[in-house]
Amino acid sequence: MAKTGIADTSSMTFGQKVKMFVNNNQAGVALILAALLYIITIICNPGSLNKTAFGNIILLTILLAIPAAGCTIVLIGGGLDFCVGAVMSATAVVTAQTMMGQNGHFIQTLALALLVGLLVGLANGITIVATGLPPMIVSMAICNVLTRLMYVFTGGSFAGQPSPALMQTVTARYLFGFVPNIVIYAVILFPLIFFILKFSRFGKQLYLIGNNETAARLTGVKVEKVKIISYIISGLLAAFAGVIGEAYIYGARMQAFDDYGYKALLAVIVGGTSFDGGVGSFEQTICGCLLMVLLSNWITTMQFSVPVQYIVNGAVLVALMALYNRSGAVRQ
Amino acid sequence: MQKIKDAFKRFYKQPAFTGFILFMIVLILNLIFEPPAKFFSLNYLNSLFVSNTPFLLVTLGQGILMLAGLLDCSIGMQVALVNVISIMTVQEWGIPIWMGWILAILGAIAASALIGALESAVGLPSFLCSYAMTTVIKGVNVLIMPIEQGKVPKAVYKVYHNPLGGIFPTAAIIFFAVLILLYLISRTKFWKHVYAVGGNRQNAYAAGINAVGTQMKASILKGVVVGIAGICLTLMSASGNPIQCEEYGMRSLAACIMGGMGWGGWGSIGCATFGGWFYVLISNFVYYLFTWLAKIIPGFKVSSYYNNLAADVIVFLGLLVTVITNKRQRKSLKQGINETLKQLSKEEEKEDK
Repeated sequence: MAKTGIADTSSMTFGQKVKMFVNNNQAGVALILAALLYIITIICNPGSLNKTAFGNIILLTILLAIPAAGCTIVLIGGGLDFCVGAVMSATAVVTAQTMMGQNGHFIQTLALALLVGLLVGLANGITIVATGLPPMIVSMAICNVLTRLMYVFTGGSFAGQPSPALMQTVTARYLFGFVPNIVIYAVILFPLIFFILKFSRFGKQLYLIGNNETAARLTGVKVEKVKIISYIISGLLAAFAGVIGEAYIYGARMQAFDDYGYKALLAVIVGGTSFDGGVGSFEQTICGCLLMVLLSNWITTMQFSVPVQYIVNGAVLVALMALYNRSGAVRQ
Repeated sequence: MQKIKDAFKRFYKQPAFTGFILFMIVLILNLIFEPPAKFFSLNYLNSLFVSNTPFLLVTLGQGILMLAGLLDCSIGMQVALVNVISIMTVQEWGIPIWMGWILAILGAIAASALIGALESAVGLPSFLCSYAMTTVIKGVNVLIMPIEQGKVPKAVYKVYHNPLGGIFPTAAIIFFAVLILLYLISRTKFWKHVYAVGGNRQNAYAAGINAVGTQMKASILKGVVVGIAGICLTLMSASGNPIQCEEYGMRSLAACIMGGMGWGGWGSIGCATFGGWFYVLISNFVYYLFTWLAKIIPGFKVSSYYNNLAADVIVFLGLLVTVITNKRQRKSLKQGINETLKQLSKEEEKEDK
């Protein structure tokens, strides 16, 4: 996040100050908008202010933040991963089919799911780096193949459930009676992602590549390797999110998480990570995730009819993008 | 002979070359299963055009946008919008069919112009913006037509389904008419501006081209093409469905890329044409392949999921093939730069003397 303190703000009008704040502090804006949305939701429907609903918001935000972390890492490196939704759906199927509602298969499930994530990430990374095609198109093609593969493996429908123990670790609420246990995963995983992006050599190289690939190459960074690793991390995170996501939805549905691919990408963008690479951070993404979750929470609470829901959802997203993710003007 | 060689060399350097090669390969694969006498028969070509003209036109529309440096994932939903408007205006207001069609095409133009304005004038990221607009258009579609309904009079849709005068498929006439129209437009100054703006908006502006205006014009042109595609779809299905064709958005993008289209400023309408046909013929081929396998291998029976998987894997491989073009393009660019440098240095030597 850029610091605004250096500029002389005393001579600015209020409008200019607001504009400057919006431009320099996108995560803050996302948080303010999220808070506003939550207040509006409560005003529209006072019944929605309760412990369970609050816990649900935490759960969904964390569930979205995990794949979104992968998207952030890839976007910072100047790439784009459209596969996270398909990977989540695939590993959700893997989870249900391996566990079959029985305890004691966790390690096996996790290994299988992570293998799926690793393979997809590797395929994405290698193809995108080796071919030089637009990442969006390549990851979309791979995502299609993965979805089709899942249909071939399962025959279009599948039985199976996540184990009770796994569900306990995700949806049960021990802390204060409303904080869902999924927080455990966040406590382990999020600092790790922070560390990777902020302090590790990999993270620093990633920012450099996103900012200026040629410069990174000239300073001796192995650009290809770093990029491929970023896609692998994204695949692994999405795979893990699929496992705990299945514990949350507890159903046997194909393509259950496909929309998460798009949602995660939007959360990252709304948080302020740039499409051009080199800019962004995980804490910004978490703010973006919170905003996305509260947005769908508001739309559900308002009980719009289905078509109005579609329109409001799309229009709000366009408005959010217009607020602070515009490309450079033609006149420069 | 030399002339043919030269012509081939020229064509080899065209962006549409990879698309053409992919198209020829998949055409030959098709001909293995369906002998030419049957494949090129009037009935067969007619059915091929009838069911695929909407998608082929959508790919052309996407191609126009990509040349101008934009893209639109909601293009499939716009086809459904045309379908919905053309059916519902006639059904609810009792206006003549042709008037409904005009309104529907205007609807597609309006949607295209809106998305074009958001991407070009407001400057939103094309991919995410058009993806968000997909849900908006879907909502509008469902508002206008809550459930699948409506029909087209038999006398009208029969014209589309049967060859015109028993000689030439009507759908093919529509497709080629649009193609010729685009060819004529591609000879204008506007088209040069499209390439310039697609290549680099800021540079085009600096060169005195109205960048936003050009992109808006391209969006509107795409809207017209999508409108025609939507009418073809309505005639093909002879009914209304508010949430069909969503997958056309992504498919048309992949088809354009496979046809040899680059991201803005590189490519041609030929790329979109060959890419679209490649996509159409691939699913045809996969269908034949699996039917043939079921015939020769006793007990071989697979679900349609395998067909879909095979088709998507081939599309992925097709994308990989386009890398060869990219490399060739880079090579010819390098050659060009080297030659220019040599010329420059020669001129300098002359001046020195």
